[in-house]
Amino acid sequence: MSEQRTEVLDVSHLEGGYGPIQVLHGFDFHVAEGEVVVILGANGAGKTTTLRAVSGMIQRTGTIKLRGEDISKATPPEIVRKGVAHVPQGRGTLPELSVEDNLRVGAYIRHDDEVDDDMDQWFDVYPVLRERRNQRAGSLSGGEQQMLAVARALMSRPSLLLLDEPSLGLAPIIVQDLFDRFSHINKDTGTTMLIVEQNAQLALGIADRGYVLESGHIQIEGPADDLIHDDAIRKAYLGV
Amino acid sequence: MELFINRIFDGLSNGATYALIAMALVMIFKATTLINFAQGEFAMFGGFIAYVLATERGVPMWGAVILAMLLSALLAAGIERTLIRPFDPADHLPLVIITLGLFLAINAIAGIVWRFDPRAFPELFPSGNATSIGGANLSWYTIFTVLTVFVVAGGLTLLLNKTKIGLAFRAVSSNLESSELVGIKVGPTLQFGWAIAAAVGTLAVAVFVATPVRQIEPNVMITGLIFAVSAAALGGLDSLGGAIVGGLAIGLVQSIVVPYVGVPSELSLLAAVVVLMLVLLFKPSGLFGTPAVERV
Amino acid sequence: MATAPRFQFTEGTTQYRTYKLIGYGILLLLILIVAFAYSDTGSITLFDNDYKISITRVTKAISFIIAILGLQVVAGFTGQLSLGQGFFFGVGAYLSAWLVADHNWPWLLTLVVIIPTCFIFGMAFGIPALRIKGLYLALVTLGLAAILPSLILLDKLEPYTAGAAGKQTDSDLVPPGWLPLDGIVDALHKIPLVGQYFGDGDGLSSREEQRVWTFFIMTIVAVVCFKMVGNLIKSRPGRAIRAVRDNETSAAVNGIGLAYHKTMSFGVASALGGVGGMVYVAELGIASPGDFTQLLSILFIVGLVVGGVGTLSGAVVGGLVIAFVPDWASSTQNFPGVPERWLQGPTGGLILGIMLIVLTFVLPGGIVAGVRRLRARFVRVNPARPPLLNADGPTIDPLADSATVDAASVKT
Repeated sequence: MSEQRTEVLDVSHLEGGYGPIQVLHGFDFHVAEGEVVVILGANGAGKTTTLRAVSGMIQRTGTIKLRGEDISKATPPEIVRKGVAHVPQGRGTLPELSVEDNLRVGAYIRHDDEVDDDMDQWFDVYPVLRERRNQRAGSLSGGEQQMLAVARALMSRPSLLLLDEPSLGLAPIIVQDLFDRFSHINKDTGTTMLIVEQNAQLALGIADRGYVLESGHIQIEGPADDLIHDDAIRKAYLGV
Repeated sequence: MELFINRIFDGLSNGATYALIAMALVMIFKATTLINFAQGEFAMFGGFIAYVLATERGVPMWGAVILAMLLSALLAAGIERTLIRPFDPADHLPLVIITLGLFLAINAIAGIVWRFDPRAFPELFPSGNATSIGGANLSWYTIFTVLTVFVVAGGLTLLLNKTKIGLAFRAVSSNLESSELVGIKVGPTLQFGWAIAAAVGTLAVAVFVATPVRQIEPNVMITGLIFAVSAAALGGLDSLGGAIVGGLAIGLVQSIVVPYVGVPSELSLLAAVVVLMLVLLFKPSGLFGTPAVERV
Repeated sequence: MATAPRFQFTEGTTQYRTYKLIGYGILLLLILIVAFAYSDTGSITLFDNDYKISITRVTKAISFIIAILGLQVVAGFTGQLSLGQGFFFGVGAYLSAWLVADHNWPWLLTLVVIIPTCFIFGMAFGIPALRIKGLYLALVTLGLAAILPSLILLDKLEPYTAGAAGKQTDSDLVPPGWLPLDGIVDALHKIPLVGQYFGDGDGLSSREEQRVWTFFIMTIVAVVCFKMVGNLIKSRPGRAIRAVRDNETSAAVNGIGLAYHKTMSFGVASALGGVGGMVYVAELGIASPGDFTQLLSILFIVGLVVGGVGTLSGAVVGGLVIAFVPDWASSTQNFPGVPERWLQGPTGGLILGIMLIVLTFVLPGGIVAGVRRLRARFVRVNPARPPLLNADGPTIDPLADSATVDAASVKT
């Protein structure tokens, strides 16, 4: 069904890495409008690098098309302005800034007057953030920081949200709640999501489609429901 | 007692200058954890621009200072763009070398253009004494220099907390990568920091030499930078409020403690360096700074 | 390297030894030329400016070279950015001036006091470096460098330092009577064609003889320093400090005592700074407080970077640059296209500042790296035991400069 929708992200021959070390060895993937796509892979497979390549944080080659426009030469600030929000690994909140300022920074590229309304809306979603709006973000717990990071990313009203291992370092119960939230956001706002995860069970649970990345190549791809029943994946990532 | 109070007043006006230069250092340190070793020379140069505008171009004194602040901000922005930005902000060595190169070059240019003979700088504040406390005279100059510090600190705080560029600046200071990921252009934001720092520095030197007791010359900030660095480190290198406390404290140490413990005046610099060393040894984040966490 | 270099040598072969010998020969020849051709008033005239290459300036350069060599140990090889080398240089200068002037010590004997004193001072300064890192260390050491002039001016120290007037020494290094320096110059003067450049035919005055002798002695002092540092770098502690520079944490977990090696390298660096100070005063005859400000420490950093961080020969290049550039800049009175005003005043400082900035951009490895790159086009030295390595192995520098590193890897 996803084939009929417009492609938000269409990546081909993606290569990239850090200095002389090549991590991504040329692969293709795509994300359609309204989809939740997950990229699975072990440590060092190149998941984070893939997201960093999309948002322009590293040198990369190949074509990265965002709604048909090639962004493979664009800088991160330009890509953000084109509607891509990236929640980096380790959450990337601004620890010295207050919760409120973190959200305001999220809306940095916006010039409309609805920023306060959006902020209120996120405070409704995550009441704990409202309680702590004047506290330094660094004083929040890991789960709260992850919520803040997601809310901050969504403050830019992106059409594509990149999430880098949101489950990392969080308690299972919080992770479950977080992924439910992603699912809701996706359904309510229609935000397209590209999630990179190690927790295959959870991620595939909310995803439409998935890719499995190994050593910089895509090994398996398919609808989430198929992947969740794939023997190889079950062995490698689900521990069953 | 009279002498003691007089020394306090002296210390305050010296400390005010250290505080201002320290704030300039803090503006750059906050953003990139870099110390601009040429900050004192930037400030000296800006002071000379104000001097030239006022004495040779006939610009009214305060207009000259404000114009010089703008010009030095532009100059610093240009230097940031051409000499600083090409380097990775996380790799300090080349940047430190560049600022040392700037230190030498700017000092030399000022020496070539204006020579090393001290010149009297026009007064910026009413002369004479405002009041007398316990027999000691509190001059208008002292009052206004200290006031300047608080006005500048207030202005910077507003700028950082109430404007969008200020928000971007704080974001970049906090986490460079995340700032890029919300669409902040890091380069121009850091450039803004350099410009503001240069403007504050220019004001600092203008205020410092705007008294008949002192004159302006190319080496005016050579030791001033050491005092300011100690002040900034004492207060915490990333804290504007800390810079004020640090600056005034160093000024007071210089004028009160040093004569009281019987150390000759030459050693006031030593006192500042000892303070610097003790702070960095035992509380590297200073009194009000954010402790740095070292990740391995 | 697209084309193979014109000359290739393999370590251990006769050709390689010849190549090295030629290198050392040229160096020795240069030393002799400087000693005897410029003992008088050697100068090059360019655009009506006289550029003096007098031997006294070369001796001054040697003092800087030794100090920068010390900086190489602590900054180049151990990765601790110290802006305080001028402090130890000044301490060495004043200590030797005091011992020579007030206690009639011979110059070289003062090293017996200077080296341990500066070593201990330096080690003491290495202790804060254990906790104070990078930029903070630069700040503290810069402060240290800044306070030396005020220490010298202290009333209590005035009997020893002579305060603002400067500590004068009358003692010179006098060549032994049996050494016919005079005769050598005259003999050289008689050589056809080139002889005219050596002396004026009437031998050397006793002042000139002293200069030549001072130069020789200080050259030997420098060579000994270089030999010792060279051996140190190649030895076990040398590998340890380079490991500290490259990655402190992994050095520590591999059993390298950070505290020990850092303080030691500060000690060695400071001792070399002190030796440099002795050479400086022995040549100049006076130590004045204005010579040892933080500016001097910054000049040493200029020398370090301009020559090449982490290379021994970089210290030579850097020392020559910071000794000659300011002098030559101030002897430049006319230069086509440059207004006179810009030639009078601290033009040297401007040139050094610009040099520092430009080199950081275009040649982060300093002049030495540039020369090596150039030389690599013509000469390649293959390692001694090629069977295990492929023939295109790394080139090895014949001037025994091991462990090159570019500026980027010194931590700040």
